[in-house]
Amino acid sequence: MNVAEAPVAAAPQTSVPVTQAVRFIGTPRAYWRLLFRGTARLAVTLGIYRFWFATDIRRFLWSNTEIAGETLEYSGTATELLIGFLIAIAVLVPLNLILFIAALSLGPVGQFASTLTFPLLFFLGQFAIFRARRYRLTRTIYRGVRCHQDGSAIRYAICASFWWILIVLTLGLAYPFAQSRLERFKMRHTYFGNLQGRFEGSGWRLFFRGLVMWLVVVGPLLFALTYAIAGVDWDKVSAAAATSDGGTDFFKKIETAFPDVYGAIGILIGAVFQAMVLRWWISGLRLGTLTIRSQLRTGLIYGAYLRFLWYALLFSTAMSIVGVIAYYAMNAALAGLGKPELVEAVNAAGGVISYVVVMLGYSAIYQGTVRFAFWQGGMESIQLEGTAVLDAVKAEGGPSSAVGEGLADALNVGGF
Amino acid sequence: MATGAGLYFDGASSARHAVTIETTPAFLSIAGADGSLIAEWPYAELRAQSAPDAVMRLRRAGGPELARLEIRDPALIADIDERADSLDRSGVVERRLRKRVVAWTVAATVSLVLVAIFGVPLLSDRIAPLIPLSVEHRLGVTIDAQVRAMLDDGRSGKPFECGGTDAGKAGRAALDTLVGKLEAAAGLPIPLKASVVRRRESNAVALPGGHIYVFEGLVSQSRSADELAGVIAHEIGHVAHRDGTRSLLEAAGLSFLFGVLLGDFTGGGLVVIAAKTVVQSAYSRDVESSADLYGVGLMARAGGDPRALAAILDRIAGAIEPGSKLTADHPQTKDRVTAINTAANRLPAPTSPLLSASEWDTLRGICG
Repeated sequence: MNVAEAPVAAAPQTSVPVTQAVRFIGTPRAYWRLLFRGTARLAVTLGIYRFWFATDIRRFLWSNTEIAGETLEYSGTATELLIGFLIAIAVLVPLNLILFIAALSLGPVGQFASTLTFPLLFFLGQFAIFRARRYRLTRTIYRGVRCHQDGSAIRYAICASFWWILIVLTLGLAYPFAQSRLERFKMRHTYFGNLQGRFEGSGWRLFFRGLVMWLVVVGPLLFALTYAIAGVDWDKVSAAAATSDGGTDFFKKIETAFPDVYGAIGILIGAVFQAMVLRWWISGLRLGTLTIRSQLRTGLIYGAYLRFLWYALLFSTAMSIVGVIAYYAMNAALAGLGKPELVEAVNAAGGVISYVVVMLGYSAIYQGTVRFAFWQGGMESIQLEGTAVLDAVKAEGGPSSAVGEGLADALNVGGF
Repeated sequence: MATGAGLYFDGASSARHAVTIETTPAFLSIAGADGSLIAEWPYAELRAQSAPDAVMRLRRAGGPELARLEIRDPALIADIDERADSLDRSGVVERRLRKRVVAWTVAATVSLVLVAIFGVPLLSDRIAPLIPLSVEHRLGVTIDAQVRAMLDDGRSGKPFECGGTDAGKAGRAALDTLVGKLEAAAGLPIPLKASVVRRRESNAVALPGGHIYVFEGLVSQSRSADELAGVIAHEIGHVAHRDGTRSLLEAAGLSFLFGVLLGDFTGGGLVVIAAKTVVQSAYSRDVESSADLYGVGLMARAGGDPRALAAILDRIAGAIEPGSKLTADHPQTKDRVTAINTAANRLPAPTSPLLSASEWDTLRGICG
């Protein structure tokens, strides 16, 4: 950590640091229009349209982000994503088939195969995340210079798997260190032209900032566990259980109330936590001598989540009304035909269709509120120092293939 | 000819060059602040890159890959758009292309859904008989463990499988006699493994590899050994037709199809499962009818009452709790009952019950 910080401190500073902001010039209205059209097309194509949808969204977000007077350019195409996906399928289909057949065989081979499947797919997912990042970076052009990424995706996947195991083992306490280490790896291999990136966010800083939240979330869980094991007067419980259901009733009540309370705490703390991590992450990013600070307000993230909940509520209400009317209209129309099998089939298909529509709707609302707020808010919270370095960057690096994106898509680990 | 200001990036460095742009008849002329000519880009080679609405960002096809020209002057933008056919400021061409993409993806989706509804069952019908019995047996063992875990709610605190107690052991022997008669008449290539399990529903399931689970609820709902035998004969029909293996193949095919389609390769997504369930329940109608007919024939061959299956079905259908297997994925019970009776009427009437009255009484105590 200190070794990395040293050159920055020693770097010759310009006498007056020039701070410049990042602006987001896209309107929410235009973004909603993109979302609405894309989601409708996703629904009728059962998702095949997603390559075009993702490309449209990225083009919009990139080209409306203005850094020091110039906007970013996303040069990726939907066709590239489609080809990347097809390649990923060509790799994953045989792999899945082998795992499936191996898992069916008896004895140690089957045991081994079925225990291996999850770790293997997780590892592949981490590999894909790194490669997909590389694709997005090499499709990001700013002032006629391309971003790019080197470094081994396999090495990243090994590191990431190691850290995630540690995160699980420490009930999340290792998260800050994992983030800072992995981000360091990613940023060290990130370039804008010949300008190398760095990450200077400190794991300890995030750890201390997040510790209180961790205690609030994990504390009750640990407490409840300890209490349940040590604190219970087992004789009384068994006596109560023998005479009546009182004891189990009590535990059932706790059991049912627990997720509700937890959900509420989760939403409250989740937003604070996400804002904190985002602020910490942005403020740790470095590009040559360019430093970045973020003053992201937590209220902004709260607002986004509240808007999401509100829109989702409105949408759910509207969908229930439409759904009920459609259900009765359909059944009334079909009742005259006297074909109960047809009615059953239509109702089942209607169920699947409405499920798809509702889920896509939630996804669109989430992207229009939370995702958008994260991008816009995150970008606009940025203060840049030393942008002069951006004026003399030499072009370097070429475009990379979209296989990583395809893998990430097929394994469901995609980002933007 | 129009002239205006713009920004030029040469693609070799990030340096910003303020330039003057002139639209000559054949190309865009780009000149530096000092008046020196920087580049001449023919209109046919101009390509638009993504940019904010108010900005035109150009690249030259075949030119330096990353060289960019940015123009903000609306009049100049309009003039260039007018001259270059390759530019599509209004988005007409792009929209037409997109419509084609959407139309073809919808077509692809429709054909995939049709394959799911008609192709997958046809294919699994052809493949299921080709799967060696040894493989089916192994499949059966794996699935048996999963189904057991799913069915066994462990609420009663007694072993899931009936027949452990003294009374149960006698019941178990009676069940074996009953199943043995059916099995002898069926002449299956694999041995049957039938048992009664503690579930309150009036139902029975057959798994690949010859496992048949008869639910306790069905035993208590049966008024005679022949009624119970009728249901077991129906399940033996599933075993004989290898329906378990077939539906497993169908499930695998459908998860794969929908999974690839929806980009959810692990196939665990709820949409995948929902779509799979709907399509598979549509398949099951023919499967159930043919298992009924098999059961009727088998009962006659074993010397039992072929009408017994119709009798118990008719009775259970009214009393059964909603959502359970017999009603959920069996065709309309009335149609089934009629079909069974029609088929049974052509067959000889039974000579005697499959089990004696005392044997039947013993069997009923299997879960005691």
